[in-house]
Amino acid sequence: MDILGVKNLTKKFQQFTAVDNISFNLREGEILGFLGPNGAGKTTTIQMLLGVLIPTSGEVNYFSKNFQNHREEILEQVNFSSTYTNLPWNLTVKENLNFMSCLYNIKNRKERINRIANIFRLNKLLNQQVEQLSSGQVTRVNLAKAFINFPKVLLLDEPTASLDPEIASYIRSFLKEQRENFQVSIIFTSHNMSEIEELCDRVIFINQGKIIADDRPQNLAKSIEICHIELNVADGLKRTIEICENSQTHYELSGRNIIIDVKEKEIPEFLRNLMSKGVYYDQISIEKPDLEDYFLQVAKKK
Amino acid sequence: MKTSRIYAMVLRYFYYFRQSLDRMSDAFYWPVMDLLLWGLTGSYFKKMSGGNSTIMIMIISGILFWIIVWRGQYEITVNLLEELWNKNLINLFGSPLNLDEWMVSVIIIGLIKAFLSLSFALVLAFFLYKYNFFVYGFSLIPFILCLIMTGWWVGFLVAGLILRGGTRIQTLAWAAVAVISPFSAIYYPLSVLPLWAQKIASFIPTSYIFEGARLVLAQGYLDWHKILISFLLNIVYLVLAIVWLRKSFDKILRKGLVKLF
Repeated sequence: MDILGVKNLTKKFQQFTAVDNISFNLREGEILGFLGPNGAGKTTTIQMLLGVLIPTSGEVNYFSKNFQNHREEILEQVNFSSTYTNLPWNLTVKENLNFMSCLYNIKNRKERINRIANIFRLNKLLNQQVEQLSSGQVTRVNLAKAFINFPKVLLLDEPTASLDPEIASYIRSFLKEQRENFQVSIIFTSHNMSEIEELCDRVIFINQGKIIADDRPQNLAKSIEICHIELNVADGLKRTIEICENSQTHYELSGRNIIIDVKEKEIPEFLRNLMSKGVYYDQISIEKPDLEDYFLQVAKKK
Repeated sequence: MKTSRIYAMVLRYFYYFRQSLDRMSDAFYWPVMDLLLWGLTGSYFKKMSGGNSTIMIMIISGILFWIIVWRGQYEITVNLLEELWNKNLINLFGSPLNLDEWMVSVIIIGLIKAFLSLSFALVLAFFLYKYNFFVYGFSLIPFILCLIMTGWWVGFLVAGLILRGGTRIQTLAWAAVAVISPFSAIYYPLSVLPLWAQKIASFIPTSYIFEGARLVLAQGYLDWHKILISFLLNIVYLVLAIVWLRKSFDKILRKGLVKLF
């Protein structure tokens, strides 16, 4: 079942088109990665999904209801955490969570705040002002705020950006648990590709305001054909370079170490060629392409 | 419109008020300073005029009445700025909160703080100068209503400007209401103003209230005609200011709330 449906969404700022006629959906219990280089249109899209930016054209539907016509009813079931907003820095964590829970009309506020503080390890910080917290702690408060209303849809813009690896891993586990137990649907942006690969069921890649890919993270990585072969050449470094140059293959040299970009299906032939020219190596590693390679390829094209 | 969301916003501003020295001084320090400075000036004039206490009462009434106008607009504009400084507007309007609920919440917090500031100033005026605010009797009710309405429309007007211009025009949050003060004839009769200024004053609702208050003191007569004009002008300006604020909000939603930071 589609929880969110976006149809032909466009946002123009005078002559500049930030989001260009994109359509996608978010299924119940799905974690959807939203990827793209800086300025690709991710944040603009998320702002439109939150109703804090009016689209130039297109339609957003949550729970099969038009967002524009049912804004308040829908936003009671949606929440977000973003790097471009702050909670009031002069209020304590508890005050922030309290007024936010009123805003979302939460019953048993005290109980909910204590529970959410426990989940995000904020118990000892509840009476501290937000301005006194570290950036990692602020991120946790933002996430606590995002979960205060038991949201059915969560929009998370780089939610683990300033967290230490242990807490980031804990948050990822928590997000998976929420998806499994409560069928929470999540849109997730991050520049940490391994995080996206670990967490997301599907990835939408956006560039220059357009969706250029919509697939499982593994499939996107597979679409990159080039592998990196790293060799520590014991004998025949010059011949190896010659082979690369003759076949116009990209390589990087560092001492006797050479990294060569070879298409995955051409690896056996390439290695046979090295052997026939009498090249000896004492170490070899073959790095298969991952989501990061896909990201870099698209960013280079940009 | 949901009361829980209005309550949430009142709570948010109350929390800040409770722990902010800036806001405490706005609410209590400046009224004390005004009362001391102008009250003592009034005492001096009273002595000079052979003990005529009317001038003293007029000055203190002017201070107290102006607190009502000022608080009404200040809570609207400064609370909006507070959200801009905190980069909190997206948290608010990315939630189910709507603009109408926010407007009601700042009106309520304005009323609460006007009551607190005014009560404090009244007690002080009584102890310092034996001033009795209730000398105006029931006419206080329409006076206060019209004054607070003026505060609201000035506040919404400036809030609309801030939404369009951002924090670079934030000084308007404190300064804008002062523009109407000379034409309001707070401490002097309208006839003191030059003719062109009197014409402008005829479009300023507060001028009718301060004139009316002086009439009550001097002749014990409440001019309902003046109150009606003030009320009608306030209604017109309030409606226009709300429309303006809504349009400004709509405009910034087209640009993106994030552009305000």
